[in-house]
Amino acid sequence: MPEFLLEIGVEEMPARWLPGLTEQMRQRFTELAQASLLVPERVQSFSTPRRLVVTGQVAARQADREEKVWGPAAKIAKDAAGNWTKAAEGFAKKSGVAVDQLQQAPRDPALPAELNLLHVKRTAGRNARDVLPAAIAALLRGLAFPKRMSWDAWLEDGKGTLPFGRPIRWLVALLDAQVVPLTIYEAQAAAKGRTIVESGDTTYGHRFLPPGAAGRAVRVRSFEDLRRHLEEQRVVLDPARREEIIQSQLAPMAGTGLSDFGLLAEWKHLVEWPTVMFGRIPEEFRRLPIEVLQTVLIHHQKYIPLGEDMHVTRFAALTNADRAAEAEIVRGMERVVVARLRDAAFFFAEDMKRPLADRVKDLAGVTFHQGLGSYEEKARRLVRLIDTMGERLGILTRGEMETAREAALVAKADLTTLMVREFPELQGVMGGIYLRAQGHPQANVAEAVRWHYHPVSIEEGSPPARVFSGGVPTGSSDPYGLRRAAQGAVRVLLDFWQAEETEKQPSLCKLTEAAVAGYGQAVKRPAADVVRDLESFLLDRLRYVFTARGFAADEVEAVLGAREPDALDDPREAWKRLQALHRVRLEATEDFEALAVAFKRAKNIIGDRPPAEVDTGLLQEGAERDLHHAVAELQPPAPGGGRQGRGVDGGYESRLRSLSSLRGPVDRFFDDVLVMAEDPRLRANRLGLLSQALSLFYRIADISKLGG
Amino acid sequence: MSPARKGLALQEIVSTLQKYWADRGCLIHQPWDAEVGAGTMHPETFLRVLGPDPWKVAYVQPSRRPADGRYGENPNRVYKHQQLQVILKPPPADIQDVYLGSLVALGIDPAVHDVRFEEDNWESPTLGAWGIGWQVLLDGQEITQFTYFQQAGGIDLAPISGEITYGLERIGMYLQDVDDMFALEWAPGVTYGRVRKEEEYQLSRYSFELADVDLHRRLFEDALKEGWRLLDMRGAGGAKDRRTVLPAYDWVLKASHAFNVLDARGAISVSQRQGMILGIRKLACGIAQRYVGADTDTEPQTAKGDTPTAVKRA
Repeated sequence: MPEFLLEIGVEEMPARWLPGLTEQMRQRFTELAQASLLVPERVQSFSTPRRLVVTGQVAARQADREEKVWGPAAKIAKDAAGNWTKAAEGFAKKSGVAVDQLQQAPRDPALPAELNLLHVKRTAGRNARDVLPAAIAALLRGLAFPKRMSWDAWLEDGKGTLPFGRPIRWLVALLDAQVVPLTIYEAQAAAKGRTIVESGDTTYGHRFLPPGAAGRAVRVRSFEDLRRHLEEQRVVLDPARREEIIQSQLAPMAGTGLSDFGLLAEWKHLVEWPTVMFGRIPEEFRRLPIEVLQTVLIHHQKYIPLGEDMHVTRFAALTNADRAAEAEIVRGMERVVVARLRDAAFFFAEDMKRPLADRVKDLAGVTFHQGLGSYEEKARRLVRLIDTMGERLGILTRGEMETAREAALVAKADLTTLMVREFPELQGVMGGIYLRAQGHPQANVAEAVRWHYHPVSIEEGSPPARVFSGGVPTGSSDPYGLRRAAQGAVRVLLDFWQAEETEKQPSLCKLTEAAVAGYGQAVKRPAADVVRDLESFLLDRLRYVFTARGFAADEVEAVLGAREPDALDDPREAWKRLQALHRVRLEATEDFEALAVAFKRAKNIIGDRPPAEVDTGLLQEGAERDLHHAVAELQPPAPGGGRQGRGVDGGYESRLRSLSSLRGPVDRFFDDVLVMAEDPRLRANRLGLLSQALSLFYRIADISKLGG
Repeated sequence: MSPARKGLALQEIVSTLQKYWADRGCLIHQPWDAEVGAGTMHPETFLRVLGPDPWKVAYVQPSRRPADGRYGENPNRVYKHQQLQVILKPPPADIQDVYLGSLVALGIDPAVHDVRFEEDNWESPTLGAWGIGWQVLLDGQEITQFTYFQQAGGIDLAPISGEITYGLERIGMYLQDVDDMFALEWAPGVTYGRVRKEEEYQLSRYSFELADVDLHRRLFEDALKEGWRLLDMRGAGGAKDRRTVLPAYDWVLKASHAFNVLDARGAISVSQRQGMILGIRKLACGIAQRYVGADTDTEPQTAKGDTPTAVKRA
């Protein structure tokens, strides 16, 4: 099979787009070639910032195709005189053939005598070379970019201008070394202008390397040819290979506890010819808070900090350059880093001149959200919420309350510091650092402020447990990124209780009510409506967090579907119930499957009816009495009082294990007993019995939700 | 003149770049004679990128950013820096190579440095303008902002324009190998500090301490009002007057500068900020519409009215 090769030469594409674009090239080309009947095989794609490449085997020619087009019944095709009728002539005309050329055949093989007119439409396969231009055009159009730009380009496919991620500067399009023609025109006043790019067999290497032969036009005949020539021209086409090269150059640093801070994934997409270089951090800046150093190096320069014992002494930087130029390049990089660090050092010194607590009053001038007042009001609101959590809800001890109140008051004060204005990503972090550096008497307060925006992503671990002994479990009122914040709140509650076994359970319902009440008149809608919306929003987040922790969706639904207690009212218990359900279901998969089926059936019959009293006198069948007996045995020891399994990790598990023994009685009940009996008293009694059985589970999970 | 000096003096950088771009067909314009925050605000960029007519121009633009003032004490940050701005409309296909050629003209050999085009899109909320592009990094130092303009004054551009903005001080510091902007040589033997340090001190002091807040609030309001008054004028027959856009645009610049001074003075709350930015943008967008002759409706344009065309990007 012939080899197809497409290289889209572009001006530098953003690094973070490349993984997605590379995959799209492979996938989209495969789809398009399939749709063009070119049976693509072994399709691979590669990329650098300046090129997107896809290659693979395709058929040289489409297969010929035959399509049967059925016409009117043969008996109405000719009139009594044996002349073709209008119907027959019309069909021939539609088919584009003379009426004599039509065949007659049985349309239904089962009725061989019933003939219809038949036109066999033959389509000769086209050459791949003729089909590919349209496929390439569709590929260019179909690539999805996070942001597209107009570059005044025009494609002759009837769809007009061609926006793209960055301007295209050359196209290599080859089918077995033959150029596949495609032209991109300049758009002029929404019409076709002169040619900008024409496909060919010419590629270009690294912009600046090798010295003396940089940017040279190179003709290629195949993918292997392209790969090899590009390598000679200092371009490593395969991102995976660039990563290997980077790793091997970083290898000497492996002993120093190197973390790449997630940069390596991006690094390989930044350059065509990876060369890692190392720079020094001058002594005088090594005492800056490590978070500041990391922000400057990682976020601003994309360099990897190196060092020991919380002291950054060096950095690793990726370049697209030649090793021969290392000394000069490193000197330039160090100069940039020093300039930034000098700024940071200036900010730090200036900010330190005022105690952080002093800045709380400045927050009055910083709007939190239109209509919801300033950050100063928000700080006061947070303090009142802490009071409620302690005094009314009783989920904070007196000591925790003191710490939390103080932390809540100063938590947002760093928004007015020079450092946070320059490096917004350091909000919260700087507050903690300044409190510590200014010698705040309570380490817990500084820690709570430092972590109060966290967790900021689902991947990130929750804040360390020690934070919560100081306790600021309220990260939930950020007006932007609400989902992330709500998720954070849910996770803080879950992990909060892992850290600290406290008698009182945090209720998200009560916390929500208290938080909404704190806004007072500022909230325009009725508070009850806002609370209801927030609760359903939080329940969604709880669902997401549970699922993200690897639990099956049906198990999550089952637990969230339990009635008593409500998952939001007691997320921590819901979390325990979920783990128990997951484990017990693994042990007794079959039992749970059967129970799920039975309970789905039961639920369909009884709906939301509350469990009713059962009159033992009315129990007629053996299976009925067995089920009643089993249900009675399994009733919780003190119905209505206390929480099941509370504080004992195995509580839910052992309970679920015993409940799974219901499978036999329930199955027999459904096999032997007619639930919808004619006698209304019998029917009511049987429904009551079923609902009792269901309600046994409702305290843990709605088993009927299992199995989808 | 210092014997250690290895690169061009600042004024030589300017003349080298001006010659380079003049040789490539650019008209060499002069700085706009009003306070602006960036070369983009010069009408030779903001207005010329509108409409279909090709244009190639280059000019130096001293750019005032009051909040960046550091009393001349910070070696990297100043109230006023100088940009050299190039507009190529439409951008030629080899625009990146032509740009790289200008670095060579300055004595920077990309083969022995790490020169990279790194994603950095540009956006000006006050001008209703945005573009796609890169910051050009020279060994990790940003020396140029390279932008393909997509929209200006809320209007989609066709053709697009290529904008190349050199940070002259940064390039100079790189070429002369100095860590302190004020140690730059402006002319052989004359430092940047000698030319500008006192100005930095006085202008920083003014922006942070002395500027009259009430006056600047009034200036801001009055500038917008005057801009709209010009834009709302009607010629003979009641048609909208197209020949008031240039003075009207000057008032956009004045409003923008008053805003920057108030900002440096810490006199703008977060909630006010949005409204003020929107106020400038509405006027800028109105001017752009009039400039291209798109607002041919007969309704009078008022300061309270909506922007004629929805601004697609905030």
